[in-house]
Amino acid sequence: MSFLDILHLALRNLRQAKLRFFLTTMGVIVGVAVIVTMVSFGLGLQRNMLSRFRALDLFNEVRVFGKSVFSMAVAGVDPKLKRDENPGGPRGPGFRADQRPTRILDDAALAEIAAIPGVAYAEPDIGFTTFVRANGRVVPLTVNGVSVPNASSRFKNFLAGQMISRADADEAVIDDVSAETLGFKQPADAIGQTIEFLAPANEKNTSQKSDGQRSSDSSESEDEGGLNFFGIPLEDDSDIEPGSDANKATSDGLNQVVAHTFRISGVLNSKPKEGAGQGGRIGLMSGAAIYVPLRAARQWTIDHRNPMGEVALALARQSGQLGERETEGYFSAVIRVDDPVALTPVRQRLTELGFGSFSIVDELEQLRTVFLILDSVLGLLGGISLLVASFGIANTMIMSILERTREIGIMKAIGAEDREIKLIFFVEAAVIGVTGGVLGTLAAWGVDGIANRLAYRFVLKPQGASFVDFFSLPPWLSGSAILFAVVISILAALYPAARAARIDPVRALRHD
Amino acid sequence: MPLLEAREVSKVYQMGTTSVTALDDVSLAVDEGQFVAIQGTSGSGKSTLLNMVGGLDHPSSGDVYFNAKPLGPLSKKEMARYRRFSVGMIFQNFNLIPTMNAEENIKLALAFGGLRGAQRRKTAKDLLGRVGLSDRLTHRPSELSGGEQQRVAIARALANNPKVLLADEPTGNLDSTRAHELLGLLREMVTRDSLTILMVTHDRELASSFADRIILMKDGRIVEKDDE
Ligand SMILES: Nc1ncnc2c1ncn2[C@@H]1O[C@H](COP(=O)(O)OP(=O)(O)O)[C@@H](O)[C@H]1O
Ligand SMILES: [Mg+2]
Repeated sequence: MSFLDILHLALRNLRQAKLRFFLTTMGVIVGVAVIVTMVSFGLGLQRNMLSRFRALDLFNEVRVFGKSVFSMAVAGVDPKLKRDENPGGPRGPGFRADQRPTRILDDAALAEIAAIPGVAYAEPDIGFTTFVRANGRVVPLTVNGVSVPNASSRFKNFLAGQMISRADADEAVIDDVSAETLGFKQPADAIGQTIEFLAPANEKNTSQKSDGQRSSDSSESEDEGGLNFFGIPLEDDSDIEPGSDANKATSDGLNQVVAHTFRISGVLNSKPKEGAGQGGRIGLMSGAAIYVPLRAARQWTIDHRNPMGEVALALARQSGQLGERETEGYFSAVIRVDDPVALTPVRQRLTELGFGSFSIVDELEQLRTVFLILDSVLGLLGGISLLVASFGIANTMIMSILERTREIGIMKAIGAEDREIKLIFFVEAAVIGVTGGVLGTLAAWGVDGIANRLAYRFVLKPQGASFVDFFSLPPWLSGSAILFAVVISILAALYPAARAARIDPVRALRHD
Repeated sequence: MPLLEAREVSKVYQMGTTSVTALDDVSLAVDEGQFVAIQGTSGSGKSTLLNMVGGLDHPSSGDVYFNAKPLGPLSKKEMARYRRFSVGMIFQNFNLIPTMNAEENIKLALAFGGLRGAQRRKTAKDLLGRVGLSDRLTHRPSELSGGEQQRVAIARALANNPKVLLADEPTGNLDSTRAHELLGLLREMVTRDSLTILMVTHDRELASSFADRIILMKDGRIVEKDDE
């Protein structure tokens, strides 16, 4: 007897008890629908989170840490207990390095890192807070240096204007919040306006470059060359503390040093779509209110070092850890890779070079485990409902054996093998499994669609958010759900089939 | 050499503490092309004997031989093949599958025999033609008379060209006229196609008018063999 004949017989048997077949299959449909809906929700959650990370450049970036003057300055403390953070930096405890850096992250090191295959560029993380004046107002704002041009998603969304045109341009990009703070009614109003960074008058500004005290730093900036710096020393009162009374100073138009003037080239939209990221953080580069070219920012930090930084540098030099001719280097830098796949080898190389590094992928591995557990729990819940359905299948088949005893006896009398009798039952179960699996998957697909629409209609739309697909129903999920349903159904038919094959034809055919 | 042979076949049914001896040391031989009737009262062990010969049951002792080969050592699968190709069986209550029409019932047996597609359809039609039911192909058993049902059963029993037809009270549910017609058909198959038939009946008159030989059974024993 061919498989087609067996399939034909099985279908005929199912047709003969349509209602029973329908009810039994219904159990499988519900079970599969529950599994697929639950797992597709878990997968959707995962996908949405990952794509959000991706939109934030978190897979394309590695933060690299060098040996900082702050760690060199600390003395008499077990290195293991030392927190390798930049206490003078604008950000609080953030990303931690995977290992203690042993090398100074200076420009030469950055060039070496930029040459690692797969690295698009390495951007030192230079940030500071300073008073700025624009539109007649003075406010303290955070400033970051950025490389120009810049591929980061951060600079993809301008409300007005555009990115800084050249690496040596005296241009700045500000975010929309700062534009508002500075009193620009429209983002467009800020474009072309000047923004002045203010510094204490008693400090040397960049126009007076070389002075022996910072020979190394100065020579470095000379090497970079071509910096279009222009400081405008204001009047005379160089002894006045600028931070303390900035507003008054502004109103006076006196007692203030304008250290550097930039032209606003663009206003960023700092509110990422879909509520991505907190605090406007995109990528591993910390967010700031103002972005200026890297070299300008670097120069600023050298010229206007904060007291702690000053001390750290002195201590590092004193202890001999930082040579007289050595530059202090950057605390950290953000490396952008062309392809997330390159992340691992790039980090390996960084370790070999003696730098510490951080990538969100580390956190992601943990997240993946969490999702795996979540999906398993969801799948298990669905699995229980399918298990219940399998009892229904077994029950239905045992019932039908009782009804079909004579028929089975007849088949045996005309030469059916036990194997063939069993196969008929297995195929019947498989048909129930396939039908239930396919319809269950379709049902789950429908439920997903309806749930998405309801969520959009009653939750997202009222909040002004756009449509989000909360579920992910990849073909492999549908495929394995159907396969699972078939396997469970066949397992449920094991006992009934064995029992059918054991039927004694003599007894089955007795005519009383 | 006989085509079919039972040698010292006994069958004991164990019913709790008591045992029922359905067959007690029965031996018989049937040559190819013979029409042999087993006659005896109800409960004399006729069906039990026929089921042993048909490969549906196993003797407690002794063995059945087909073409001089014993059935005892056969595996379950080989036994199924024996039932499929070597013998055909018909019963008092016809035992057709009620949800299948005449043609489908026969095609089921042909499917077990491995016949496919067009060949299977053609053979089914030929078989129904042989028993005179060419115009009843799509009738269900419930739409056929008892005589017609038994003819369908005969066609099905002969589907895979067995040498032997085993018939257990084939006329038990038929009136005398239909019974004569049916046995006439069987007789013709023996004479024309040299089919071998072993038929169980309690009707002495029918047995003697159609069979070549009558074996009389009583209480599980053969009490009389004529024409030996
Ligand atoms: N499965 C069985 N269990 C117990 N006793 C049985 C069984 N089958 C048959 N018998 C007994 O064996 C005897 C012979 O039965 P059977 O061969 O059907 O007789 P017949 O066909 O001649 O009427 C009867 O007494 C019957 O009760
Ligand atoms: Mg009987």
